[in-house]
Amino acid sequence: MTSLAHAQPPRRDRVWKNRVFMVAMLFSMFVAFGTLVVLLVDTILTGWPALDWKLFSEPPSTVPAEAGARPAILATLYLGFLVLLLSVPIGVLTAIYLEEYANRSRWWNRMIEVNIQNLAAVPSIVYGILGLAFIVRGIGIGRVVFAGALILTLVVLPTVVVASREAIRSVPDSIRQGAFALGATRWQVVWRQVLPAAIPGIATGSILALSRAVGETAPLIMVGAITYVAFNPELFGPYTALPVQIFNWTKQPNLEFQTLAAAAAIVLLVIVLSMNAVAIFLRNRYRKKW
Amino acid sequence: MRVELQAELDALEAGFQEAGEIVLRSIRGVIDALRTQDVELCDEVIAFDDEIDARYLALEKQVEMTLARQTPVASDLRLVLAILHSALHLERVGDQCVTIAKLTKLSSHLDTKRTVVESLVDMGERCAEMVKVSLSAFAARDVQAARGLHQLDELVDNANRQVFHEVLGYVHDAEALEWGMRQITVARCFERIGDNAVDIGEQTAFIVTGEFAEFTDASHDPRPLV
Amino acid sequence: MTQMETQPHIDSSRIAEITRGLDRSEIEGREKVFSVTDLAVSYSGKVALQDVSLDVHRNTITAFIGPSGCGKSTFIRCFNRMNDLIPGAEVEGRVLYHGDDLYARDVDPVEIRRRIGMVFQKPNPFPKSIYDNIAFGPRVLGIKGSMDDRVEQALRQAALWDEVKSRLKDNALGLSGGQQQRLCIARALAVEPDVILMDEPASALDPISTTRIEDLMHDLKRDYTIVIVTHNMQQAARVADMTAFFSVLVDEEGAARRGVLVEYDATTKIFTTPSDKRTEDYVTGRFG
Repeated sequence: MTSLAHAQPPRRDRVWKNRVFMVAMLFSMFVAFGTLVVLLVDTILTGWPALDWKLFSEPPSTVPAEAGARPAILATLYLGFLVLLLSVPIGVLTAIYLEEYANRSRWWNRMIEVNIQNLAAVPSIVYGILGLAFIVRGIGIGRVVFAGALILTLVVLPTVVVASREAIRSVPDSIRQGAFALGATRWQVVWRQVLPAAIPGIATGSILALSRAVGETAPLIMVGAITYVAFNPELFGPYTALPVQIFNWTKQPNLEFQTLAAAAAIVLLVIVLSMNAVAIFLRNRYRKKW
Repeated sequence: MRVELQAELDALEAGFQEAGEIVLRSIRGVIDALRTQDVELCDEVIAFDDEIDARYLALEKQVEMTLARQTPVASDLRLVLAILHSALHLERVGDQCVTIAKLTKLSSHLDTKRTVVESLVDMGERCAEMVKVSLSAFAARDVQAARGLHQLDELVDNANRQVFHEVLGYVHDAEALEWGMRQITVARCFERIGDNAVDIGEQTAFIVTGEFAEFTDASHDPRPLV
Repeated sequence: MTQMETQPHIDSSRIAEITRGLDRSEIEGREKVFSVTDLAVSYSGKVALQDVSLDVHRNTITAFIGPSGCGKSTFIRCFNRMNDLIPGAEVEGRVLYHGDDLYARDVDPVEIRRRIGMVFQKPNPFPKSIYDNIAFGPRVLGIKGSMDDRVEQALRQAALWDEVKSRLKDNALGLSGGQQQRLCIARALAVEPDVILMDEPASALDPISTTRIEDLMHDLKRDYTIVIVTHNMQQAARVADMTAFFSVLVDEEGAARRGVLVEYDATTKIFTTPSDKRTEDYVTGRFG
């Protein structure tokens, strides 16, 4: 007869291992979450005094009390919009090709796949160098908003492609089969069934990619988001971006500029976090149950 | 492999063969009663019929269960159907035995004619043999043996006719005639037992070939019935 | 109302069919819809099915049964060229559809699938409204006329109209499994096909939904030719007029397994007195 009461107590080293592991997990979580909280709290506390309408309405100035980030905020919104406009169609069409049309037994298709995955892992500064060489100087359009948007598009495109492919792949094959069996052509199947069903996933992935683009600094510094721009950006004009503006202010010795940088950082955080929120909302709202 | 179905089929078949054994005991009892004109033995045979009926009802119930739960098809279905039919034939053989026992009792106060009784006993033996053959052919799925029953049945039919003509000779002796008339019915009963054995043989052929065919078409037999 | 009028009406011509099943010669007297000769299907060079020759006749239900891996689903997909969608799939032999070679060079698989509808194992309604599910086929094919009428007719034919008429705009994924499958049948009917292929249409459904699908098949048989793959032998026995039994052939090394057609005959024959020992062993459950 055995019973729980008479069962052997667990061996001591197992109990000990269990506890060590538990502590390690809690510690890791604390490091990750704690850092984020400290960062947010510190930024908000530092930036709060400077977070006023002036920040949105005024251009930067050498006088901290008069300085704002209007051109940078506007440029960041421009960039975001342009990146979305460029990366989503290209990314989605690439994903459609790879998922629905490409024959995986052909070497070039496999090569494209591998390379897109590699591109997603390339450091963004490398894109910056590339952009400087080919877009800013190669095509010669100069250090303009459009050039920045092109570079950021390159940075996020692999992510958009991968996310769109995920979304397209998650549309069950039975939907395609059902549509084909009714006499639909491949194009009709993709356009009328697969794509509509994949849109929530594509949107989620694209927005997440975009929020990454909006926060990017390195490639923009390479392709010339110059640090002092006192006027509103134009498509083919010089510009700065919010991250670059923040970077610039933090370099200033004057402490008041640090406050401004923190305030601008709050704005950037709000933009990025609200984009992520939209993405999460979309994902939960349209989660398919098949 | 459908283990449960196979177990049920095996049980059905075993039950059928047991019922066969019991019916054979009834036939042997009625033959002995006839030979010895033993009224007590007749009563035993009559009482024994309840046992046969119980066996038949049990088989019928079992078949119903198997059909409902296992939905057998093809050869399995044929086996189940054949057992259902054959069990009914066995039950009828039992009923014939009861009739013979009753007739033997009824005529026990009358003089018996040795020759007729011997013919009837002979007929009975043949019938018992036929039932035995039909059961063993069923168990062995032996179509050849099952078809052989038809030849045996002709002998029984002949004996039946013989008894009839024998009794015709009693026409001037009222008491002998009464006794004789009863014996004609006894012969008729044996003849029916033989037919039932042939029917069981036909079921055997149905199991094996999947086609039901009467070994002889009684309705088109050119020979007179008696 | 007299007693006679309340009795369910049975078409006198169907009495024979109901009481003893159709026999082979009666079915073979009907027009040939498909005529398959020496068909073999391989995936990336591996043979999945070979040596299949059989005819499918008009207004009959033809069932394909057999153990898994016997190629019955592969086979049914040859009739509407769904195998074309699988990379590396190759079909050899001949499939005639009303006398025309389905695999001829100039034949458009899209046109074939318009005439030969298909219903799948798992109900696969599109994640759209009930109405749009039915309308999808006619729309992609550019069929003219009143869509509302067409949708209603298809739903009525699939015995689903009364259950969904008040909520045509609701998402089809909200229907029960059995309703979804009838929706898929209605969807196939909406393009007015000639043949309906059903690949294990009730295997994901509860018994009552299964019964409804089977009843529906009996009704549809009058206007359509139905081919069904089923792993439920009793279902084949209940609904089909003709049954083909496929088996798996394992080569000497035990490596390659390919499907072969073992026996094709009237369903009544297959389930009472099959000619082949392998069929008998399969239908009686003594397989393997």
